[in-house]
Amino acid sequence: MTQPTGTSRKTRAANRLFGRNSRQGNWWAALLIIVMTTILLIATTDDFATPRNASNLLAQAMPLIIVAIGQMIVIVLAGMDLSVGSVMSLTTAILALDGAPIVLIPLVFLAAAAIGLVNGIAIVRLNVHPIIATLSMQFIVLGIAQLLRPVAGGSVPDVVVNVVTGAFLGIPAPVFWAVAVVAIGWKIVHGSRFGLHLFAIGGGVASGQSDTAHNFGLKDRRNIVLAYILSALFAALAGFFIAGRIASGDPGVGSQFALDSITAVAIGGTQLSGGVGGLHGTILGAILMALLANGMNLANLSAFLQGAIKGVILLLVVALQSRKKMGL
Amino acid sequence: MGNLLRSMSRIPPAYFVFAALLATLWITKPQLMNMNVLGIFIRQVAPLGILVLGQMLVMRVRSIDLSGAGVLLLVNYLIASGLLRDVPLPLVLLLSLGIGCLVGLFNGYLVARRRVSAVIATLAVTVIITGFVQFLASGKPPGNMPDVMNDIYKMKWGPVPLPVVLWVALTGLMAVFLSRFVYGRFVMAVGENPTASHFSGVPVERTVLIAHVLAGFFAGVAAIVQSASVAVGSLRLGLEMPIDAVAATILGGVVFGRGDGGVWGPFFGVMCFAFLFVVMTSFGVPEPGKQITRGAIILLAAVFYGLSTRNS
Repeated sequence: MTQPTGTSRKTRAANRLFGRNSRQGNWWAALLIIVMTTILLIATTDDFATPRNASNLLAQAMPLIIVAIGQMIVIVLAGMDLSVGSVMSLTTAILALDGAPIVLIPLVFLAAAAIGLVNGIAIVRLNVHPIIATLSMQFIVLGIAQLLRPVAGGSVPDVVVNVVTGAFLGIPAPVFWAVAVVAIGWKIVHGSRFGLHLFAIGGGVASGQSDTAHNFGLKDRRNIVLAYILSALFAALAGFFIAGRIASGDPGVGSQFALDSITAVAIGGTQLSGGVGGLHGTILGAILMALLANGMNLANLSAFLQGAIKGVILLLVVALQSRKKMGL
Repeated sequence: MGNLLRSMSRIPPAYFVFAALLATLWITKPQLMNMNVLGIFIRQVAPLGILVLGQMLVMRVRSIDLSGAGVLLLVNYLIASGLLRDVPLPLVLLLSLGIGCLVGLFNGYLVARRRVSAVIATLAVTVIITGFVQFLASGKPPGNMPDVMNDIYKMKWGPVPLPVVLWVALTGLMAVFLSRFVYGRFVMAVGENPTASHFSGVPVERTVLIAHVLAGFFAGVAAIVQSASVAVGSLRLGLEMPIDAVAATILGGVVFGRGDGGVWGPFFGVMCFAFLFVVMTSFGVPEPGKQITRGAIILLAAVFYGLSTRNS
């Protein structure tokens, strides 16, 4: 968004404060809250600053970080993926089937890619609104997951558990996961032509013309389909991580993740109207959500109230974002 | 040929699906085809039908309302928990309608004035209300519903159950309201093109806001009828109801910004739901199958409209 001439200094300051002219959005507010929460937790609790708790916290935050990166990819191009939670549930359900790991693990990612493909094709070829397409897909995928595994149970292959909970050279596995996921996410979003096109497509939509990028010769449809496939693949990876941690299949495990991932992305400064956002903001947002959950647990807050508080945070964050379009 | 196809695509899919379901039921279970049994099937979807009236309105102004789940849960809890034991029942029901309107007003403020994405806003409202009610109830199911409500629910007007009478009456009122009042024109204009409406002097924000308040009101009415239909209160009311409402509305030919199906298209969309789950149960489809059907209906109906609007 360019700065209209003649805006007052106050407006300009406010725009800068809320990250309205930055491509990354306002990510430093999340960082500030993280720093403050960390200091608060270190000061008030004894065992927060131990390496053991840090590693635990990372393992708790990991699924949300992974799924939020995928969510960010579609939100930057002015879409949204509400089916990620169900994809995670489906992943754990598939991994808990009877079968060789060499079959199950590729199957998980194939299924996710197929779901993303259907989402993408429904959106770009069949002209369905992204939210409606992924909302309906959320129910279809959840139904399939419940068919495969009606109640939580079963066991996943040992390989999955070892990859997630094991250690290598004395360093716990989630650290390697974090490095790998951030590297992959960085390459996709900020280090590739595809990533640049994401911002171009989303920025066009946010400014009111849905076909700006198309008119500049970008292959927008194929990029959008690819983005939804990536989002589903990241969700499957997050589901894989959770399956390793709980070592069983659970069709209800992903139910919170659709809204939580959107909250994490929005808190990290990515605009839901598209075109503005960044990987670092999203990761900070996911870490912030994990820290808040950790802090609320330490404060012995009821799980039901925690859900309500997360809803309030989501509402606050999205109500502070400016958007031109009204409605969906 | 092209013209025929185009005029075919203007007829809401609900009518075809309804006819197909009725035929299936008539062939496979002819013993169900009598007034009493059909009346019970239709009575079951009366809350959904009333919820759809609001959903239809907000979808015609390019918004959506998934907060019905929260309103349903809250009203259900208020009536069943005995928190308001000393308050006379009519006052409790009035309070329920007030809660519906208030939630609608809040949604409308967020969507119309703050320009928040309607799905996110109304989903978040549901999450907040659900968490709050479950916290109040500490996860335990609330008590019994008052017997009076269930007695009224079971009454009949001739052969027609009373909730169905209420549903049809509200639908008729809605049809008159949208076709005879200026507000109906505003709804149509905003749905067709919000920008053009704004520059033609249509109060776009106010139209969307009122649509959300009305949707909240209908959610309150639906919640009361739903509470009357059960003997015991429940905390297990999920998102199914508003999602079914979206599916029925799309099935009835009302999609975001377009109201081809009028008021009676969504009405038949709900009627489809009355028979759909009966037919599925009689074919032995398990619960997850219904989940899949729910999603598939929304997706297919949205594709149907996506394709028919793409070239125009």
